[in-house]
Amino acid sequence: MDRRQWTAFYLSAPPRLPLASVFGHMINIDHITKIYGAIRALDSLTLVIKQGEVFGLLGPNGAGKTTTIKILTTLSKPTSGRAAIGGHDVEKEPLAVKNIIGVAPQEINLDKELTAEQNLRVYGMLHRLDNLGRDIKDILELAGLSERSNHLVRDFSGGMQRRLLIARALLTKPNVLFLDEPTVGLDPQVRRQIWDLVRNLKENGTTVFLTTHYIEEAEALCTRVGILSRGRLIALGTPQELKGEVGGFVLEYQENGNTRYILCQSREEAHSLSQSKKGPIIIRESNLEDVFIKLTGERIGKAEQ
Amino acid sequence: MFGSYPVFLREMMLFRRRFLRLGYFFSAMFAPLLYLLAFGLGLGHRISIAGGSYLDFLLPGLIAMSSMNNSYTWIATSLTVGRLHFRTFQIFIQSPVSPFAIVLGEVLAGMVRGLFASSMILLVGFFLGSGLYFIPLFIPALLLNCFLFASLGVVSGLKAKSHEDTATFSNFFILPMAFFGGTFFPVEEMPRWLQFVIRLLPLAHTNKLMRAKCMGSDCLFSLAVLVIFAVIFFVISIHLVRTYSE
Repeated sequence: MDRRQWTAFYLSAPPRLPLASVFGHMINIDHITKIYGAIRALDSLTLVIKQGEVFGLLGPNGAGKTTTIKILTTLSKPTSGRAAIGGHDVEKEPLAVKNIIGVAPQEINLDKELTAEQNLRVYGMLHRLDNLGRDIKDILELAGLSERSNHLVRDFSGGMQRRLLIARALLTKPNVLFLDEPTVGLDPQVRRQIWDLVRNLKENGTTVFLTTHYIEEAEALCTRVGILSRGRLIALGTPQELKGEVGGFVLEYQENGNTRYILCQSREEAHSLSQSKKGPIIIRESNLEDVFIKLTGERIGKAEQ
Repeated sequence: MFGSYPVFLREMMLFRRRFLRLGYFFSAMFAPLLYLLAFGLGLGHRISIAGGSYLDFLLPGLIAMSSMNNSYTWIATSLTVGRLHFRTFQIFIQSPVSPFAIVLGEVLAGMVRGLFASSMILLVGFFLGSGLYFIPLFIPALLLNCFLFASLGVVSGLKAKSHEDTATFSNFFILPMAFFGGTFFPVEEMPRWLQFVIRLLPLAHTNKLMRAKCMGSDCLFSLAVLVIFAVIFFVISIHLVRTYSE
């Protein structure tokens, strides 16, 4: 996936943004609450994302990440609060919102009984693309699936299906791309490809909103990260800022068979603290997982273990 | 309006894919053919209804029943499974197409399926020597019947909480209607109180129209009933898509 190819693909996109949003914010979330029965999936979430940002919503399973994406992509209506994309209210002007977004959901919702080309054709027609034949050819090439164009999707590997899913979301050259857990269950090589893709999109000014519970993914890709826990936004900032707030270094040591962590401001501080600890110790730079543990007392990957 | 074409096209692509598997085709056509052969050939020689052969009576009834079953089941199943299991329905919601266009595309697809099944039965009836002659209201009644039950399929496909829900609805509503709505015997044979209930069912009116030889005010009333049912189900479908929220 060559960067120049992506640029060429995107340059052929017509500008569809209202002027106000070009200078303003791309995504505005204003006190969104979503309640399912007795469960408060989102609790007064407020968030502003600028154009061209790669924003990562980080949190364990069930924190409300997918609910956020569903509300922003008009699939779910909030119990209270407002949200706007490109200056369009998601509830009052849903068609305008749908015209500028692309969505790759967590579950691969391709028609597996149809071919890759047929999947893209139906999607492109729903979005009234003018040069559909050419766009499909281009996007399949960028996704590395040209030769599979007329194969049934059910015969694709998991990684190929995921690539096709993201390719479909990009077919319309959206201003905002939503990726819900884009690399779950993928092998490291495919994961790297998707990371490269997101970086290329960033170069081209596309706003990317992604959710993940992989720490390294958020650190590798995102210009800014929000940490969600039980429907509440508990931290917001660049990965550097967030790590700086809890301390840049971590001292890990063993105590009664358990691994303990101490967050330190500097490597020297960690060194001096380690003098009093017995057994093996590790001093390392802090990561977003440490931030999450500090803030909630839980691990992000907890639900999976 | 324009957006209904890709919705329709997708269903047709899926239909074609299933159709290419011949086993699917035979299983879909099995029930109506079974009825036609068992009742038509088994009872046909002994019974005569309104001066005509039983086969002549049965054939329009089976066409009405199959068009109902196929239009309804195809769309109800496709939407239930697409919405709850494969989550492909969500693509329509996230695309810039109106709720009207989504419903229209699905309903047209259901109609194609219903008309296809109807024409198969018509063909078999022809080979069995039925003297079915076309009456003016046959085509509009058939089209309305397909439209109405495809719209009901959309309602059921959007309301169902599981695949079993669709089957339950089908067993408690669609199947009894097929048996009591005048498919196998004239509604007039039933007790009076039951006749009154049956006249509230849309399929009874389709059956009546498909067999009516004239265009009296009675037929116009039945036609009006079908139109009203069709409009109600279609409007409810649009409302359900418009207010769709997970």
